[in-house]
Amino acid sequence: MPHQSGNSQRTESPTRLLRQFMWSNKGWYALSMLSIIASEIVMVQFPNLLGRFTDALSAHRLSGRMILQYAGWLLLVGVAYVILYGIGQLRNGQLGRAFEYQLRKRLFEHWERLSTSYFRRRSIGDLLNHAMNDVRAVREALTGGMNLFTNAIFLLVTTLVMTFRTISVRLTLVSIIPLLALPVFIIWWGPRIREASKSAQEALSDMAAVTEESLSAIRLVKATASEPVESARFTEKVDAIVQRQMVVFRRSGLFQTLIPFTGSVSFGIALAYGGYLTVSGQIALGSFVAFTLYLAMLITPLQQMGFVFNYFQRASASLKRLEVLLSEVPEIQDPAVPAPVTHLEGEIDVNLPAFQYPDGSEPVLRDIRFHVAAGQTVGIVGRTGSGKTTLVNLLPRVFNPPPGTVRMDGYDVHDLALRTLREAIAYVPQDGFLFSATIGENIGFSRDDATPQMLLQAAEYAGFRREIEQFPDGLDTVVGERGVTLSGGQKQRAAIARALLKDAPILILDDSLSAVDMNTEQHILAHLRRIRAGHTTIIVAHRLSAVRHADFILVLDGGRIVERGRHEALLEMGGLYASMYHLQEAAVEEVTS
Amino acid sequence: MSALTPSEQARRGGNRSMGSLLKLLPFAKRYRWHFAAVVLLVIVYNATTVLPPYLVKIAIDSDISGPRPNLHGLWTISLLYVGVVLLSVAANYLQILLVQYAGQSVVREIRVALFQHIERQSMAFFDTNAIGRLVTNVSSDTETVSQFFTNFFLSMLRDGLSLVMVVVAMFELNVRIAAWSMLLIPVLFGISALYRKRLRRAYQTTRTRLSNIMAFLAENLAGIRIIQIFHQEQRQAARFDALNRSHRQASVVEYRTSVLFNRTFEMLGNAAVAAVVWIGGGAVLHKTILFGTLYAFINYIRQFFQPINAITQQWNTLQSAAVAADRIGQVLSVEPAIVDAPNAFPLALEAVRGEVEFEHVTFAYKSEVPVLRDVSFRVPAGSFVGIVGPTGAGKSSLMSLLIRFYDPTSGRILLDGRDIRDIRQTDLHRAVGFVQQEANLFTGTVLDNIRLFRDDISRDAVIAAAEAVGAHEVVNRLPDGYDTFLYSKGANLSMGERQLISFARIVCLNPRVLILDEATANLDSHTEALVSRGLQAVSANRTTLVIAHRLATVRRADCIYVVNQGRIVESGPHEALLCRGGLYAEMYAKSGAAYEDGKMVQPI
Repeated sequence: MPHQSGNSQRTESPTRLLRQFMWSNKGWYALSMLSIIASEIVMVQFPNLLGRFTDALSAHRLSGRMILQYAGWLLLVGVAYVILYGIGQLRNGQLGRAFEYQLRKRLFEHWERLSTSYFRRRSIGDLLNHAMNDVRAVREALTGGMNLFTNAIFLLVTTLVMTFRTISVRLTLVSIIPLLALPVFIIWWGPRIREASKSAQEALSDMAAVTEESLSAIRLVKATASEPVESARFTEKVDAIVQRQMVVFRRSGLFQTLIPFTGSVSFGIALAYGGYLTVSGQIALGSFVAFTLYLAMLITPLQQMGFVFNYFQRASASLKRLEVLLSEVPEIQDPAVPAPVTHLEGEIDVNLPAFQYPDGSEPVLRDIRFHVAAGQTVGIVGRTGSGKTTLVNLLPRVFNPPPGTVRMDGYDVHDLALRTLREAIAYVPQDGFLFSATIGENIGFSRDDATPQMLLQAAEYAGFRREIEQFPDGLDTVVGERGVTLSGGQKQRAAIARALLKDAPILILDDSLSAVDMNTEQHILAHLRRIRAGHTTIIVAHRLSAVRHADFILVLDGGRIVERGRHEALLEMGGLYASMYHLQEAAVEEVTS
Repeated sequence: MSALTPSEQARRGGNRSMGSLLKLLPFAKRYRWHFAAVVLLVIVYNATTVLPPYLVKIAIDSDISGPRPNLHGLWTISLLYVGVVLLSVAANYLQILLVQYAGQSVVREIRVALFQHIERQSMAFFDTNAIGRLVTNVSSDTETVSQFFTNFFLSMLRDGLSLVMVVVAMFELNVRIAAWSMLLIPVLFGISALYRKRLRRAYQTTRTRLSNIMAFLAENLAGIRIIQIFHQEQRQAARFDALNRSHRQASVVEYRTSVLFNRTFEMLGNAAVAAVVWIGGGAVLHKTILFGTLYAFINYIRQFFQPINAITQQWNTLQSAAVAADRIGQVLSVEPAIVDAPNAFPLALEAVRGEVEFEHVTFAYKSEVPVLRDVSFRVPAGSFVGIVGPTGAGKSSLMSLLIRFYDPTSGRILLDGRDIRDIRQTDLHRAVGFVQQEANLFTGTVLDNIRLFRDDISRDAVIAAAEAVGAHEVVNRLPDGYDTFLYSKGANLSMGERQLISFARIVCLNPRVLILDEATANLDSHTEALVSRGLQAVSANRTTLVIAHRLATVRRADCIYVVNQGRIVESGPHEALLCRGGLYAEMYAKSGAAYEDGKMVQPI
């Protein structure tokens, strides 16, 4: 399997991927195809043998030994068929799964290159479900569809050849007429069943939604004596399910009954017409017996043809959807010719007339102008929704600023290689986002080579070391659903440690002290002042105590910088900052009293 | 992979909980005639499926290869055959529809009963049961149980019966060959049981690994910017690759197992035919049986396999249905902690004055630590009362007791001098209204959201209510006005707008006593001004109790109760409390309200 991450710049359509895959595995496909074909050729001997056995028997030409021989042949045919077919089936299954694997890999590597704003626009859950189901549909077509397709075609051909050759062309043609309706019926009716069952599924999730809605509002429901109303609303949904399920069963019931019915009709014709041919001596009894068996063998492939068609149709729709997913061009890309620089000092210059999200209706930031000399510490404060987080996310190009508005060391961030830019920035998100891995792996996220000492050192600076050492598994404690659930404050501190370990020229704390208590905050800030001396640090905060010592503070309101300066100057100004400060000090005393 | 997946746990608990499935049987009682009819149809259907080989046997032995070939007989048999087939189709179709209808109806009854049962529970139940799990009980557990009433029932009946019929037919034809064939039954069941277990395990491994992939993807896409900023795309891709690869492995194993199983079964079938030819052929040779009999045998031996396979498949269905039934049973067995007294008093809503009194009320959520201790106070009808205090003081608990979300541990609460435990809950809840901080919306129109889907409240009444609280302009700004469709998450409305809807709602319902639990906490100052005007309209002529964080909200209350650590520590009007210089005065000084007034600036 070729290493894929190198060619990540190329956008390959899944259809091409599929063609390449099949081409590179053509040997295997040929093998599985051949073994399935061979199995069919063997299988059609089964009725033939039974027919010859019958003839020999009725002609009284059989001895006990010959009977044993026939039985032996039958056994051999049965075993050989099963083995041959099994080999082909298995091989196709493995190939389909290999492709599924490649497709998923491709998807993930593609997604990794897309920007945050893409995932903001799309629901991740939807994206995943779509992709997973579509990938599976393709795999099913490749596995089951492939098996059935090969099987159906060749079984049909070999069976027809056998009946034409050994029995009677006329009998075959006459009896097969009703069976020809099968594939048409399946192709036409199959999707209608699927449609109905999709609608039943929707009714089911509607009911679940009403249940959740009602139970989430249970206080309101009870306080307003609305139980009967809710019960009626719920019952309505349940009735809808019953109704739609019955549609499914009416349709699938018809399906389940009509398929054997056509088979039976064919059989009836064979019985009457074949019987007549036998009685009138045009065919032998053995041929008649063999033919009834052949007929049973014909039903299956004809049925399968219909299923195969539906399989392939679904898969091609899925391939199209995957194509759309994979053709999404990453919004944020490396410049064609990156600036000739690999290390940044940490000087930042922002001159941003306005910034608007691609999906937004109006700018969230306006007239943002400031300059940070390398090594300075900047505080950014403001109310919820004032644009603080958006602003700091423009620096590492998590969101794309307009060209020329954000510069580092004099270079437009658009001209910097993404690698250079992002290596220069360590970032702590507000929610302290961690992966479901060990604490050690999370802290050492940017560095494979970090020793436990380094990890613990970073944790120490982030005020997290003592707690880590109190976990029974220490750094190896698994975080998240499968392990220890960390509190908001613990997550934030782990994320701070992760950023500190990266030791980048620019550190951004995006309101990442909001969930830690005052003492810990002061502890972390004291460490920061020491180890970040000479390095650029940007602290976004809600709580003003976090920015008190900053070289300067930007106060954001409604997407604009409304005040700027040092803590003391801002207090004296008596504006927004001052009033925020007083409110918070009062709250702090209330908490501590 | 040491952690048990839910389905693994389900498997372990399977046998223990078979009884809970039986406990659900009463729900099927109403449909017993449906099920009886299904039994009848199954018998007809099965008879029609066993008949054809027999008909062909007659055709072969007496009409085709007999001493005197008989075309007339052949036509008769062929016609008979067509008749049988038509009957079979009809019976098959009907049995599917009937059993599904009955099964779905039973599940419908279970669902409605379960939902109503859950909504009857007191709030203590919802404190301990996660909503997500309850939703699962109502939606997917019932769905699993429905399999029992449909697929399992039908399969047991149909496959069991056809197995019996095939066996009978075989013995009817020839005892010796039939007896030999019986050797197959234990072999088939054994193989099935063996493989099913392995298949199930393989299936679960694949499922677990797939969900690992999904979880990894969900997490990584959510944290994509962390990956990008830390430039770890390649490493995460390698991790994904490991998960992806292990899923592929499991998936291949699963597929291989299922192929092996199906092929083994098929191989046995072919071997059985060979054996019948060997044994039966000899019998034909020695003239102990006719050739037609042998032909029928070959067909029957093939028919033998299908029901056994199907029955073992149903075994899994039965187990998961039993586990689901167990979970449903657990919910159904919880008796509501709060029920109407047997001689509960029917309250005439118009006659309620709205006087509220707490008498020595003590209350604890979990018996040990009381959140309220010996609280007594009286609110005269029509007055406006504020309740303030630090977080966790017990303010909300106080109100929960008045609505009877919980019953007090000791003491009593009176409405118009009557213990609320003696009032029917429906009446109590009509008399006492409640607006909470979180404004719940339902999927439906604004109109229905305001009147809570009650058709007896007219559109005009709804509009009047909305006007009273100042929600009318807000609603009119929506695309379809009062007919705008809202979604429960309320994404199309702001916090303030949602709260206005819930105020209009309460005006519509027109309770005599109104509780506002931090109802204005989430509003921005503009909306708050709007709402507080509405609030005045709402509280006129009603007893109103307001729990507030912002003291400004209750400044004009007739009386303010200060709650701390489960007790009422101070009470009186705003000025009196300020003069006292106690907790209220302290809170007021720190609340920032003082700055606005410029009355008492505290040094920081």
